Amino acid sequence: MSTIRFRKLTKRYGPIVAIDDLSFDVRPGKVTGFLGPNGSGKTTTLRVLLGLAAPSSGTATIDGLAYRQLPDPVRRVGAALDSSTFHPGRSAAQHLRVVATATGLPPRRVDEVLGLVGLSDSAGRAVGGFSLGMRQRLSLAGALLGDPEVLIFDEPLNGLDPDGIRWIRGLLRSLAGENRTVFVSSHLLTEVAQTVDDVVVLSRGRLVAETTLSELVERTSVVRVRTTDAPRLLDVLAAAGVQVRLIDGSTVEGRHASAEVIGLAAAEAGLPILELSRQDADLESLFFDLVHQNQEIAA
Amino acid sequence: MKIAIRLGRAEVRKLFTTKALPVSFAVAIVLAIGSVLIDAIVAGKSGTPRLGTAADVYQMLKFAAITCVVMLIVGILAAGGEFRHRTIIPTVLATPRRAMVFAVKVVVVAGLGAAFSAAIFGLGLGTTVVTLAAHGIHHLPAGVGGLYAGTVISSACFAMIGVALGALTRNTIAAIVVAIAWVLFIEQVILQAVAPDIEKWLPTGAAIGLTSAPGTGHFLPPVVAGVVLTAYAIALLAVASRTTIRRDLA
Repeated sequence: MSTIRFRKLTKRYGPIVAIDDLSFDVRPGKVTGFLGPNGSGKTTTLRVLLGLAAPSSGTATIDGLAYRQLPDPVRRVGAALDSSTFHPGRSAAQHLRVVATATGLPPRRVDEVLGLVGLSDSAGRAVGGFSLGMRQRLSLAGALLGDPEVLIFDEPLNGLDPDGIRWIRGLLRSLAGENRTVFVSSHLLTEVAQTVDDVVVLSRGRLVAETTLSELVERTSVVRVRTTDAPRLLDVLAAAGVQVRLIDGSTVEGRHASAEVIGLAAAEAGLPILELSRQDADLESLFFDLVHQNQEIAA
Repeated sequence: MKIAIRLGRAEVRKLFTTKALPVSFAVAIVLAIGSVLIDAIVAGKSGTPRLGTAADVYQMLKFAAITCVVMLIVGILAAGGEFRHRTIIPTVLATPRRAMVFAVKVVVVAGLGAAFSAAIFGLGLGTTVVTLAAHGIHHLPAGVGGLYAGTVISSACFAMIGVALGALTRNTIAAIVVAIAWVLFIEQVILQAVAPDIEKWLPTGAAIGLTSAPGTGHFLPPVVAGVVLTAYAIALLAVASRTTIRRDLA
């Protein structure tokens, strides 16, 4: 069971602050979505975590150790950062065999992971002739090679067709189901909403949300109630501490409260409920709200 | 040590699983055999030394000109190619100890340079012996052994210089063009004509000193030339190693 931990992580490139005082944890047994628009610092954060770039200050650790300090890192952490880290003239199998040889992994493991990602038939082909989707799969095969507890994927759905996206979603869920720590970046919340348990949102290098997906949805969903006396229900719910607004003469909308809380409050006040519905926020709108709030603050 | 051996095997696998190495070696073999055969044809004509004389045999055995350039290119491709194709990312993710990765790459490519140049010299020497025998000449001049050693040492040094240039520039095409232009044109054409006393202390001048017939030309004596060339390789590797270890990888 491995935990990824960021503490006060900052990365500057000259005057540009790519990551700004980032602190959060990524827990095992979950798929954690690392979200933010392009240029928000996600990839830089992952590069610092993996020892590819040095932090300006702060720490990024896996089980308390920096990546470079990990004994046998390929067996602890698997990372698929992008789909263009292959020599075009080398075959898929040879690419993985190079890594397997360097890390002392058995050659049969190469065949196993190629089978796992559906590339067995293309194992002997030069990577230069691969489609983007095939390269993504090969990247994932590289990450899985050491059968690691921690998996880090940077935008793994880019360039995949619907079948490929469905396959990766299933893979991520099954990896988390094996109690591995799965950390997946994406610039689209909707893209990973069906897969992630936890959500970390980054904007301009700053953390703007760290929560579970269900909490995020709950926090931003609204409950609409139609009743015979909406102004009175408004007063009742406001008195109960619910954030409410009047939609029209018969409808009230409550925020940050469950349908159960609102329904019981109405019943206790003796107000008949003609209709009660929860409306989840549009995830993409929610994502943009989170990101833009921070951008407005920064501006 | 175990990690270094695994890394070494991985580096060998990298070198032998792309087309660059077999193509380079094939070209070198053709050039080595071809140069001997052409030399045998033109020997004694237009003021060139007569076939079988010491000067002619030394001219035939100048395989270092081929092996040094080939190993310079192989070294650049081995190190610069990692950055060009971004295979440096899986390489350092697998082995985060960058200093060791770099050191092993240097040792493997230098070893390959030594082995390759030894093989090419052996092949060329065999071709020379057969060619001379076909013309009724059955002896070689003294100093062939020194030429053999000089070719192996200079090729290994040029391989190391190639690795350093590849790591420093991270651009294989630019590095190859500049390095070849430097070796073949700037040093051997311009500086050798304009400032020969300076040029003999430069890498190509030192390599020529290391692989020339004893007492010929104005070049450095082989031992001094070997020390100078090795010093260039070590100095460039030291700079490249420091930048490779510290640099952020994007």
